Amino acid sequence: MSPLMMYQLVALGLLAIGLYGIVWRKSLVGMLISVELMLNGAGLSIVSSAQLTAADSATGQIATLFVMGLAAAEATLVLAIIVVVAKRFKSTETDAVSRLKG
Amino acid sequence: MELMAKIAFVVYTLLVLGGGCFAVGAHSLVRAMVGLITSLLGVAGMYMLMAAPFMAFMQILIYVGAVCILIFFAIMLSRADSHGVESGSRRPGKALLSALAFISPVFVIGWVVVNYQPESIRIPLEVPLEVIGKGLLDNYALAFELISVVLLAAMAGAVLLAFEKKGRGAE
Repeated sequence: MSPLMMYQLVALGLLAIGLYGIVWRKSLVGMLISVELMLNGAGLSIVSSAQLTAADSATGQIATLFVMGLAAAEATLVLAIIVVVAKRFKSTETDAVSRLKG
Repeated sequence: MELMAKIAFVVYTLLVLGGGCFAVGAHSLVRAMVGLITSLLGVAGMYMLMAAPFMAFMQILIYVGAVCILIFFAIMLSRADSHGVESGSRRPGKALLSALAFISPVFVIGWVVVNYQPESIRIPLEVPLEVIGKGLLDNYALAFELISVVLLAAMAGAVLLAFEKKGRGAE
């Protein structure tokens, strides 16, 4: 097994755990944690394929920096959404906010 | 040295996957966040193993330092009680549905990863920080500026959303 494949499989494991968690969790915060896990898997995969193949390493690291920046922006927005949902519905369970008002 | 690297890789793998399982399975959301931090630190260790210390530093600074604090604020502001909303019963068959959610994408990607692997470098080289900085300001300057705009917009939007009700009350 090559080193690249081992890192890719760990990243794939993170994706699997994140996908499982985003369906399994009942609260918005739990889903946010699962999304962070998946984004981490993406970052690990990008850096490993940049560092361990003949591809340009700097490009891969810059791409992962962008992924991290987007994850931070996404976490900020989700925090605001959770605050609004908690104010209006008095809970952050996904079942409580599953109905649309038309 | 090779053996040390292998041992470190196994330890980091256990940290990453164990922390991830804890982050998904724990009943209390604060404990889930601790699991997430463990997993993030494991990924930072893997970056060190791949000779990318700057990425490891950024991982700890941005994820553990910023994103986890944000998640902690989210737990605090949503008034999640100590038992947590997660500990209640779930619909029957939800575990099966959750398992189905990851089986097909992971199977497809895993098949590709195992069958189509490019030539791997055994000992990766460290990229000097100047090269990354030059790349950010030469080739990827537009993306670099755009991501700061995205961050600014996200923060302004967050403030706008969170203060919406107060603003209405003042009118």
